[in-house]
Amino acid sequence: MARRTLRGLALGYLLALLVLPVGMVFARAFADGLGPVWAALSRPETLHALWLTLAIAAVAVPANTVFGVLCALALVRHDFPGKSIVNAMVDVPFTISPVVVGLALILVYGQDGWVGSWLAQRGIQVIFALPGMILATIFISIPFVVREVAPVLREIGTEQEQAASTLGASGLQTFWQVTLPSIRWGVVYGVVLTTARALGEFGTVAVVSGKIAGRTETLTVLVEDRFQAFDLAGAYTASLLLALLALATLFLMNVLTAREEA
Amino acid sequence: MAITVHRVSKRFGAFVALDDVSLSVPGGSLTALLGPSGSGKSTLLRVIAGLEPPDSGEVFILGEHVTQVPPQKRGVGFVFQHYAAFKHMTVYDNVAFGLKVRKRPKREIDQRVGELLRLVQLDGFAQRYPAQLSGGQRQRMALARALAVEPKVLLLDEPFGALDAQVRKELRAWLRRLHDEVHVTTVLVTHDQEEAMEVADQVVVMNHGRVEQAGSPRTIYEQPANAFVMGFIGPVNRLEPNGMTREAMIERLVHYGFEVRVDLALEDGERIWAQVTRDDAEQLELERGQIVYVRPSHTRVFGP
Repeated sequence: MARRTLRGLALGYLLALLVLPVGMVFARAFADGLGPVWAALSRPETLHALWLTLAIAAVAVPANTVFGVLCALALVRHDFPGKSIVNAMVDVPFTISPVVVGLALILVYGQDGWVGSWLAQRGIQVIFALPGMILATIFISIPFVVREVAPVLREIGTEQEQAASTLGASGLQTFWQVTLPSIRWGVVYGVVLTTARALGEFGTVAVVSGKIAGRTETLTVLVEDRFQAFDLAGAYTASLLLALLALATLFLMNVLTAREEA
Repeated sequence: MAITVHRVSKRFGAFVALDDVSLSVPGGSLTALLGPSGSGKSTLLRVIAGLEPPDSGEVFILGEHVTQVPPQKRGVGFVFQHYAAFKHMTVYDNVAFGLKVRKRPKREIDQRVGELLRLVQLDGFAQRYPAQLSGGQRQRMALARALAVEPKVLLLDEPFGALDAQVRKELRAWLRRLHDEVHVTTVLVTHDQEEAMEVADQVVVMNHGRVEQAGSPRTIYEQPANAFVMGFIGPVNRLEPNGMTREAMIERLVHYGFEVRVDLALEDGERIWAQVTRDDAEQLELERGQIVYVRPSHTRVFGP
């Protein structure tokens, strides 16, 4: 009885907060049939926003995966001066408001910023352009992989790695064949969270992108833009795309985990 | 000498793990490093393997100076107390690991792994994962994995420490037979004196980061170098050396199969014990609370 109540509670909670709102997005998008959705989808702004969102994620997610695993290894397996500072720094993107992060990036990489002006002289524009948006997305999604991988590393301990080294494996061989397979769940989960955040980030990207229609609008920025312009079909369609991307990420993770467990 | 350790010291912060330790392990022998926890025996083993760099001193394996050589190149096989099995690999892949990183041809690996699995009595388990094995099976797999690369020396760090008493005894006897078959120089770390005495050709008793005594089990047992060694290798009574017959009261009788342990309290309150056969105990009609007279039959006197 108690178990059934608990299950009902959990399901109800998920239904009210998750399934219903997301379902409504689907329902609303298709409220007037396929026509408006198709029209919104075939607008160049929508396609460009989709492409931009995917392009940003395609750079930010691998970058943060590599950085996250290396950073976790350094924090868990090695001692170095300033370790506690690095450890605290990793969480900064979680604690600072995304809008502040955006402004900070403009201060450094904008036309008048120290790095930005140097780059501008060489013809590279960061802020209000793709590089700035990638930078912003990388910044705000730094902690996920580190924070997922570090506890797993701590839990598996060093004995398997030591065993590998006595068996003649080099540092790299040990990493690829022993360490990485042991932490793969942490990595996969970290990558899923990073991807979700990279696809869904709004605040920071909105600030550094300048929201230039058809040029620097990602899907989230497009949703707001269409909503403000009373183009509800456009807003719902962009939301639909975002929701589908998120579902695809989840689906991919489940496929990967299912294959591993088989 | 297969392994020579020369004046090795190692500290962890303020704790002295190894204090100027020297040691020689003869080729083909099975040597046990015996001592209580914190005596430095595991640290010494890890220094030999290259898993722990010594603060000072030198290590030689088969005459080669290896103090600066990384563990990958020392040619040692190491077995950990908690198996250190590669959990994501099958038994086959675990045992084959050292051969695969050496890029040996597939056929050779197949053949060698097959031989080793037979040797450790795990043939038929090749496609299992470590999680599907018992503790004893996992440790045998770890042993096969260490032997696969034909190590110059085999180092075992409390290999049976995580197993229950019955399995531990079986594996101990099995290890001795295996060693007689394979003949690879082996160093075994243990805190169990019975295990050391039963398995090893040479026992090295350690305490507080120092070697107290090294010798054959029989030498250690019959001519302990000091009071610590004597106390550690077997149950003993400590008495002021006067050799006189003394009065004692029986506090408890503990029956162990054919033997009976008699716990006694001397008149000055000090506690000692004696071991008699069950027949003797019955004949003497020993009972709790009785007053008996005791006299040491074997004594060894150590200076203060």
